[in-house]
Amino acid sequence: MNIRESFALALSSIWNHKIRSILTMLGIIIGVSAVIIVVAIGDGARQQMADDLFSTDENAIPLYFEQTTYEENGEMMWVEPPAVTAEHLDTVNEVPGVKYVLGTNSGWGTMNHNEHTADMEIIGVDNQYFIAKDLTLLEGRRLNTRDTDSYSRVAMIDSLTRENMFAPDEEAVGAIIDINNNPYKVVGVYESTLPPEFRHMEGFSNGQMLMPRTLISMMFGSPEIDTINIIADQPDYLTETGFAAAEKLTELTGSDEGMYVAEDMSAYVEEFDSFYLTITLFISSIAGISLFVGGIGVMNIMLVSVTERTREIGLRKALGATRGQILRQFLIESVTLTSLGGLIGIGFAALVTAVAAVFLPFSPIINPVVVIVGILFSSMIGIVFGILPANKASKLSPIDALRYE
Amino acid sequence: MIRLSQITKTYGSGSVSVPVLRGLDLEIRDGEFVAIMGPSGSGKSTLMNIIGFLDKQTGGTYSLNGEDVKQANEKQLAGLRNKHIGFVFQQFFLLPRLNAQKNVETPLLYAGVSKKERSERALGLLEKVGLKDRTGHLPSELSGGQKQRVAIARALVNHPTVILADEPTGALDSRTGAQIMDLLTELNREGKTVIIVTHEEEIAAWTDRIIVLRDGLIVDDRQVTS
Repeated sequence: MNIRESFALALSSIWNHKIRSILTMLGIIIGVSAVIIVVAIGDGARQQMADDLFSTDENAIPLYFEQTTYEENGEMMWVEPPAVTAEHLDTVNEVPGVKYVLGTNSGWGTMNHNEHTADMEIIGVDNQYFIAKDLTLLEGRRLNTRDTDSYSRVAMIDSLTRENMFAPDEEAVGAIIDINNNPYKVVGVYESTLPPEFRHMEGFSNGQMLMPRTLISMMFGSPEIDTINIIADQPDYLTETGFAAAEKLTELTGSDEGMYVAEDMSAYVEEFDSFYLTITLFISSIAGISLFVGGIGVMNIMLVSVTERTREIGLRKALGATRGQILRQFLIESVTLTSLGGLIGIGFAALVTAVAAVFLPFSPIINPVVVIVGILFSSMIGIVFGILPANKASKLSPIDALRYE
Repeated sequence: MIRLSQITKTYGSGSVSVPVLRGLDLEIRDGEFVAIMGPSGSGKSTLMNIIGFLDKQTGGTYSLNGEDVKQANEKQLAGLRNKHIGFVFQQFFLLPRLNAQKNVETPLLYAGVSKKERSERALGLLEKVGLKDRTGHLPSELSGGQKQRVAIARALVNHPTVILADEPTGALDSRTGAQIMDLLTELNREGKTVIIVTHEEEIAAWTDRIIVLRDGLIVDDRQVTS
């Protein structure tokens, strides 16, 4: 009897006991599908996180000042970050791999206009900001170098602010608005950078404004540049580019009490990976128990099957089947049973992840390696837990087996 | 040619050992039609098991076609059964989920015969035993006599040296039983060695030679004169 015939025999035997076979396979189905689903969801979440970290915000990596000295004369000490100038940033821009250097500052102000009042964030920018960020100008003009150099009291408002503070038919460009009781002239309106679904969320944002950073520094007393973002030529080398830029900036600003560092995005991914590994191991161990119990179920049902088919085994031996052939027949049957369970588990996992994709904010990714391991593992369970019943069957004496009632 | 010499068979060991065959000599030539008789416990089933390679003798020698089979291991015994013995049982012992043709083909699976040849041989033999139009039927769809015919076709399919029939008519009514005996007689006329184990005189009367066992020894061995 060749392998193909043995498989056909095994399949017909499984088919003849449909309910029993399904129940027996359940442990394997649950175990295999659980692992595939968890890994698929984890991979999907990881992919989404990596995309969020590296692909949005135009591949920007922030530089921040980290103090290296914390104490002076036994007392806690706060080190003021050294002043960063536009010239410093121009030099950092020369570092290989750096595409743009965004130096900004910010302030919060209470805006009053047309009897509307709102607290909002004001970002201080230079013209580099408009090159790096792809803002959509809706009305008027952008801020330019002259505004920065001359401390012009001008502002750009975003579409959300225009909507909230101005009447629809009111001319916004050229309007004088009041922020912290100081008048500023609106020169342009740009599309809000918030995703549309968040724009009208209660309490989420009142809108945003841009002003020359020199003006912010003067009016709000903040440094001209307090936030630095590096944009890399190649997103793949964002972290490395950030490190190089930070090193250059530290060298330029020359503080001996601290240094500029780039935020290491890959650290977030590593942190997620370690969390995800813990979850995966946890679920896998539960799945492992399920597979083990499933395997015992397979062994149990195969032992029942051997007992039920004692006479068949005796007859087959009388007709010339060797021990090896009987052993193989039962082993193939248990392997077929568990492999089938594995395949159903994979199908079930595919179904669940497809449904989950509709509800989750990301798409689960089914890992082909896990699928292959799932099939191999379920077949292996068939061998491991099938050996005992198959061996029992093969050792039956044909005389006793034929006499069995 | 079957030659048994000083065959003993003892079950158990030591003080609980039960001797079943006690030094039995027997020769059956090719083409003979033999009945083995005896009351239950006489050892006739054990003798049949030894001849059919289902069991091994404790002592003595058994040679088939001049070949001593004492040294055969379990795997070789399976091969000898497959190649030399065609079993026919009282309870038919057909595989319930296989149709008549597949049942007849089963010994050929273990002999490693190709699918095409298996099918040809099985169909040919089913025709020979008069079941040409029942090849696709499951055992449950066949009468007792038809089942035994399938079993005989199965016994013949690998061209065995010997047909060993254990009470082949035991589960059949007398008319059907007679038909089965007719078939076995015909096979014998064609040159097959046929050995029937039975306790019925009527059945034994169909054969040419009757061997009677009692307490593990042959007490009578006579030719049947018709």
